[in-house]
Amino acid sequence: MTIRIEKPGLQTTVQAAPFFGHRHVGMPAAGAADCLSSCLANRLVGKIPTAATLEVTLDAMEFTVRETCTIAVTGAAEYVKVNDEAATLHKSFRLTAGNKVRIGPARTGCRSYVAFAGDPSWNPVLGSWSTCLQAGLGGYQGRGLRAGDILEFSANNFPSDALETPVQFIPNLSGHHLLRVTAGPEFTKLEEDSRHRLFSNKWQSGQRSSRMGTMLAGTPLDLQDHNTMPSAAVFPGTIQCPPDGAPFLLGPDAQTTGGYPRVAQVIRADRHLIGQLRPGDRVQLVLTSPEKAQEIYRQKLKLLQPWLGDISLW
Amino acid sequence: MTDVTADLHVCDDWISCKIKDLPHIHALVPFLLKAGTWLEVVPGLDSITVQFDSARISVKEAASVLREQISTGQETAISAPPAIELPICYDPEFAPDIHGVVSQTGHSVESFVAWHQGLDFSVSMLGFLPGFAYLRSTQDMGDVQRLEQPRQHVAAGSVGMIGNQNCLYSFSSPGGWPIIGRTPALLFDPGKTPPNLLQPDQPVRFRQIGREQYDDLVAGLP
Repeated sequence: MTIRIEKPGLQTTVQAAPFFGHRHVGMPAAGAADCLSSCLANRLVGKIPTAATLEVTLDAMEFTVRETCTIAVTGAAEYVKVNDEAATLHKSFRLTAGNKVRIGPARTGCRSYVAFAGDPSWNPVLGSWSTCLQAGLGGYQGRGLRAGDILEFSANNFPSDALETPVQFIPNLSGHHLLRVTAGPEFTKLEEDSRHRLFSNKWQSGQRSSRMGTMLAGTPLDLQDHNTMPSAAVFPGTIQCPPDGAPFLLGPDAQTTGGYPRVAQVIRADRHLIGQLRPGDRVQLVLTSPEKAQEIYRQKLKLLQPWLGDISLW
Repeated sequence: MTDVTADLHVCDDWISCKIKDLPHIHALVPFLLKAGTWLEVVPGLDSITVQFDSARISVKEAASVLREQISTGQETAISAPPAIELPICYDPEFAPDIHGVVSQTGHSVESFVAWHQGLDFSVSMLGFLPGFAYLRSTQDMGDVQRLEQPRQHVAAGSVGMIGNQNCLYSFSSPGGWPIIGRTPALLFDPGKTPPNLLQPDQPVRFRQIGREQYDDLVAGLP
């Protein structure tokens, strides 16, 4: 099964499960930014939740297929069209040779996922088909897709009966995000009133945002001192505060270590929401304890279990 | 009952532990990786951080396992890898912050360049990005501070300097280190095993090359 990229849009990458076990040599996680939407797309085409998908960012994206195949689209796209006829998100559908698929731009949210009932025909790197853009590794030639790229997937025998995500499992997208966090190791480096402001501010996701992270615009925070701290581990979802007081939230392509105070950490259960943050969205941070955060995560997995089976989110 | 989380920082799926001694950190990393408990083991300059599956391991359990592993972990003897000399070009285009750094270290540009090449470094840490290396010198290097606002784009090969550390940017990325030069060395090559040019504890020195030689070396890279 072969597809040809006609219009890649702002950024389209191949993403699957994150790279793991290599952060000690500086390898970022990468992987689908909204892993829940990516798992849901894979479910509709009979793939394992961590299989490769195309991650489409903000803009519309188009590709043509050269053979019959089954695909599904989830996430933020306003619409999906096949040869200018409307298709449905969260429902698998069959394509025939020559069909042109258009993934509409995101109206609310930021990223859409296209799953295919087949695996990429090339070998994964370091155990994953995800793209590590900084290193030019993995995914499709280690980069975002361009017009004219030809991607091959293994042939699939997925039955033609369409699958649909049950409505209770379709995530609600919005321009207002509640992200639950635990205190980071340097939370107490914030001045007393800034510790409150971190949670009372209505932050706005910055215009300069990428898979590496996004600035949080709002009343700046104050640090007790501006001394350089020894570089230490950071993760997707870590919120760092540089001396200028404008915090930034790290995304799936986050570097592995950083030297700015780590004031908070988005809990694992909420990290997939970062993938749908679009520039200008409102963000409210809510403090919780590590124990409570674990409970929330386990509950979320339990709720998803009937449809997605035993998965983990990243 | 003793609090197992004392002097550790605990989030819902990672724990950070302060460890002052860098060789101890380097010895613990392979030990903790082999233990099989952790999804990730990330060394810092004065800390070690482990990430775990928070659906399977409770915060308390993870903290107590980590504490036990750190206290019982035998210090695996690691022999330092052979010394390496890295070419560096101080061309003004490659060294946007050299004047600020020079004034903070009390040098002229010429004496700074000569002085910088006389410094003995060792790799204190890999991280931040694949192949990105933190270098530490035992000599006093003054007190150069991190940039107030990070740059959106630092070129691959850039050499940064803060305090008594240098760093090597393996790929272009945002970054907050003042930049004093650039190396044409390929710091991360996914086709090689291991892909990293430098290893923890490896001794490193810099050797100046001119702009022409830099361009020639870069042209010869894959």
